[in-house]
Amino acid sequence: MAEEFNTDSMLSMFLYESYQGLEKLEGIILEKQDADCFDDSDINDIFRIMHTIKGSSGVLMYENITKASHKLEDVFYYLRESHPEDVPHMELVEKVLAVSDFITGELDKIKAGNEPDGDEKKLVEDLDQFLGELKGEIKKQGIRLPKANKQEEPTQFYITPVAEEDSHFYRIVIHYKSDTQMSNIRAYSATYALKEVAEDLLYTPEDILSNESSGDSILAEGFHMLLQTKSSKDEVMELIDSSEAETIDFEEINKTEYGKALVEFGREAPPIVINLEDDKAAAKENKQAPITPGDYVVKSKETGKGKTLAKNQPKQQAVISVNVEKMDALMDMIGELVIAEATVLQNPDLKVPGLDLTNFQKAAAQLAKNTTELQDVIMSMRMMPLTNVFQKMRRIVFDVSRKLGKDIEFEAIGENTEVDKNIIEHISDPLMHLVRNSVDHGIEDSPEIRQANGKKAKGKITLEAKNEGGKVYISVKDDGKGLNKEKLYNKAMENGLIGDKLMSDFSEKDIFKFITLPGFSTKEEVTEYSGRGVGMDVVVKNIQSIGGRLDIDSVEGQGSEMTLVIPLTLAIISGIVIQVGEAPFVIEMASIKEFISVTEDALIQEPGGEEFLVLRGDCFPFIRLCEKYDLPGAKTKLEDGIVVVVEHEGKQICVLIDKILQEQEIVVKPIPSYVKKVKGLSGCTQLGDGSIALILDVGGLMIEEERR
Amino acid sequence: MADELKEELLEEDASKGKFMTFQTGREFFGISISYVSEIIQMQPITAIPEAEDYIKGLINLRGKIIPVIDVRVRFKMDPVEYTDRTCIIVIDVKSTVIGLIVEKIAEVDDIMDEDVVPPPTLGGHRDNEKSKYVYGLARTGDTMKLLLDPEKLIKQEDLDILEELQGEEQA
Repeated sequence: MAEEFNTDSMLSMFLYESYQGLEKLEGIILEKQDADCFDDSDINDIFRIMHTIKGSSGVLMYENITKASHKLEDVFYYLRESHPEDVPHMELVEKVLAVSDFITGELDKIKAGNEPDGDEKKLVEDLDQFLGELKGEIKKQGIRLPKANKQEEPTQFYITPVAEEDSHFYRIVIHYKSDTQMSNIRAYSATYALKEVAEDLLYTPEDILSNESSGDSILAEGFHMLLQTKSSKDEVMELIDSSEAETIDFEEINKTEYGKALVEFGREAPPIVINLEDDKAAAKENKQAPITPGDYVVKSKETGKGKTLAKNQPKQQAVISVNVEKMDALMDMIGELVIAEATVLQNPDLKVPGLDLTNFQKAAAQLAKNTTELQDVIMSMRMMPLTNVFQKMRRIVFDVSRKLGKDIEFEAIGENTEVDKNIIEHISDPLMHLVRNSVDHGIEDSPEIRQANGKKAKGKITLEAKNEGGKVYISVKDDGKGLNKEKLYNKAMENGLIGDKLMSDFSEKDIFKFITLPGFSTKEEVTEYSGRGVGMDVVVKNIQSIGGRLDIDSVEGQGSEMTLVIPLTLAIISGIVIQVGEAPFVIEMASIKEFISVTEDALIQEPGGEEFLVLRGDCFPFIRLCEKYDLPGAKTKLEDGIVVVVEHEGKQICVLIDKILQEQEIVVKPIPSYVKKVKGLSGCTQLGDGSIALILDVGGLMIEEERR
Repeated sequence: MADELKEELLEEDASKGKFMTFQTGREFFGISISYVSEIIQMQPITAIPEAEDYIKGLINLRGKIIPVIDVRVRFKMDPVEYTDRTCIIVIDVKSTVIGLIVEKIAEVDDIMDEDVVPPPTLGGHRDNEKSKYVYGLARTGDTMKLLLDPEKLIKQEDLDILEELQGEEQA
């Protein structure tokens, strides 16, 4: 049946909702990992998330997800209803995370277009056993058990029931043929189809999706629906798939009868309109217990269980999700707008002498202000808080520390710091690596060692983010053993990474940087989490690819701190436009050390043709951009041109250019893929006059230089 | 409504046998009009260092940065100076947008499938640069037009090799 719906949009909605749900779930769990128990609202939230996932995965027939989420829902249902005491909290946390991981894994498979084929059996058994234990304990205390498999939350169709003049009311009973497979799914597809025209729709059994046995009762008793709609009987009949139905009883009723029937269906008239998250939670308590199939008795349940702990829930903001491509397109457009503005305002036609431009200038100033604001808005739209990344880290600390048997406290500071979405994607992995390293290598192996060194038995890892001067600083700090300089030096020596230089040749920072060299690992044993000697170099590479850097600081015996310094955004950089021959180039401002004017005397030529420049007693590699890129018309004499000293990862080179044109905020664009990648160029951009300048990639230039 | 639809269909039909023809040197070339998105005047081009000689550089097409290639150089013919008749034909081949610098735009010609003959081969030798990109010859009026396959035209040889290598690896 599922194929009949628009599965594509349903699928993406399912994935989106489920991912969101799981994210929220993990947030709750990790927030409460150190508490003694979940409070009522947490239990309700987890229950609701599982219920939603179960329902929607059921429709899409992802059976293993349905089963796993169902089981967890059962557990939380039990917790919610029976308030058992002495719940092994840690064990529960682990179980929930296990289910969450399982479902995330399956969702990833679905997202990649594969069948979710993970085996849920063990998970379900575990949960069953866990639930059994919970119940066992309660039994001893002599408290009545709630009936298993009873569903609390009514199924999800909340349709605004505003009775209008021309509305019709129908009572529909569908009897399926006795050999119909999955009659509950068929019934669901009927409700799904009717949803399109329905102003209000109620049906019983209500739990057709979540309760597989509801299929049997539908076969036995028929599927009862109560429909309020503007459509005529024929139109409605059309929508109901009658292929497997034996009989469809269709009865038009008047409004009063409808009102009565509503009560019969377990809802009080007039029904409640439910839209908002908060209302939903509040309204849920007013909801009545569902009717069991074939049993139309209205049960009431006392509302407002008293034991809700105060929780400062962040206020929900109205959010819409927008396709990233559209955002990028808007971003590009605004980039163009800024350039177009410059083209107009600096138009050569305006430079006619004696022109009175007073009014023009006023209007131009207003335009400039508006475009700048527009640019700020779009930039802020792309900014996302680091909350999710931080949450992931919290999870990693939790997982790894438990696996390694270390007791570690995790503190997150500044998780609301916002950075560009692209950057978030790039820092997640490196950060994960740093956090793992801190847990695995940083914190001492046992509390005894810590105490012997006069520290608290519990280790502490602090993740901090802050925004400073157009850069974002994210640091991972641990209060563990810190880095041992001699060990690092010896290790680097052993692995032949530093030649035969003496330890005194290196500064403290240089030695710390050894750990970022490829093929370096001080840990003797390779663990599951780190120590393979690949990693830190990859971290550094990833960070550098987005224009960031890694700072390492450590005091032996007191801990170490790794700080990622990354730019706020990738899309707009401030750069200096230079000219070589006739071609304009852009150099990123951050990599420029200085501009100097030198004479030929400073130049040293090696027999191999390589050139070096001596500046204030230091010797730097020297590149003539005009020769390297074969640019005609460029100045070749040092006296005529300007030398730019550029820096990348602490290394400096000198580049000869003709002249400096201007400083400009530039929108980075990729060079079309049709053109093969040129080393030393990272992209291109449009200048104020509409012409194109190539962006020099200083890192790339250096690699080229080293190869020569 | 219906008329519009009809027109649209007609238009699609109309573009079928139509070829944009241009002259370069003494020869006329044709390219199916369905690939052509627009024709623009010569523009200042920003050269890309270290690129193939026929890739002249990048131009700014209303905010979109596209590469332009010189058709003459592509065909291993001697380049000529650009004049005010020199044009850039912007083509869109499988969403790769590229400008072709041509000496002179001739006209749009109707060429029916039955008028197209495959290029003659002499003793199996097809190493001539031009023939790689020409899939057919068509006679219109008193000139012979070489019909270009834009997909081959924009493909780079080294890209082909790369793809082949990758293909082998996968196999």
